[in-house]
Amino acid sequence: MRHSLCILAILVSAGAMAQTPRDFLTRFEKEAAAPAVAERGGRFFDATHGNDWSCSTCHTTRPTQPGRHAKTDKTIAPLAPAANAERFTSPAKVDKWFRRNCNDVVGRECSAQEKADLLAWLLTLK
Amino acid sequence: MTTPSLNRIRVWDLPTRLFHWSLAASFFIAFFTAESERWRDVHVISGYTVGGLLAFRLLWGFVGNRHARFAEFWPTPEKLLRYLKSLFGRHPEHYLGHNPAGAVAILLLLGLGLLTVASGWLTYEEIGGELFEEVHETLGDGMMALVVIHIAGVIASSRLHGENLVRAMISGWKRCPPDENSAG
Repeated sequence: MRHSLCILAILVSAGAMAQTPRDFLTRFEKEAAAPAVAERGGRFFDATHGNDWSCSTCHTTRPTQPGRHAKTDKTIAPLAPAANAERFTSPAKVDKWFRRNCNDVVGRECSAQEKADLLAWLLTLK
Repeated sequence: MTTPSLNRIRVWDLPTRLFHWSLAASFFIAFFTAESERWRDVHVISGYTVGGLLAFRLLWGFVGNRHARFAEFWPTPEKLLRYLKSLFGRHPEHYLGHNPAGAVAILLLLGLGLLTVASGWLTYEEIGGELFEEVHETLGDGMMALVVIHIAGVIASSRLHGENLVRAMISGWKRCPPDENSAG
């Protein structure tokens, strides 16, 4: 009994560290207090937001394929979870790259709604 | 060259001064371009410049002028402790070159700086997965913390000893009180 409780506790804590893309979608929807709209996320991804870059400038309009860095020309691993199982599994990485990339593309941090929409759209890509 | 008056002493040679301000500029540029992909190329170039400058300083620490050499200002624990203690006493120890606390900051910045550049290079070349990305960011923040401590130390030391250390690092000259020998 003790042992199984321990194992359960470890599994729960491990689960808290390594999340799935669905967990992030749930989190962003909860923060936005509104359901995600995937099509809106797709439009957000391809559009520019007052700057010269869009998300798709580096990640391409079809982010199941590898992207290319607009400054360094380096290859960027696919962003869509269907094509890259590592995407949207680490809260630290997700927060860091949303912060950085939104500042570069939108000139501010993205709202929870924008993140929810974006991720919902990424999850429709197969 | 003009002849210096008796109480002015040449402390920092030109390479040391150029190194110092180039390092400061490159590090600040690298630090403040770290967050943006727009500045990624500038970040990488300024970071490698930091690496080149540190490599030079390492070499200059052996072949440079007197006050630039590591052997001259190597901070032993006794020297450091005695210096720090004296700061709270009536006769704070004065060093013409680097004081032991400053020397510790310099050596830490050198070591941390080289590790930061190395981990940044590994990240940029995508060697070792994402491990070095985290290491690089932590080291960079550590360097900035050291820089802040270094600047605080420069201000405190300047006030304590009534000398302008910033100006000395620009001009290379220090005023030396007549009763002081240049043993420090």
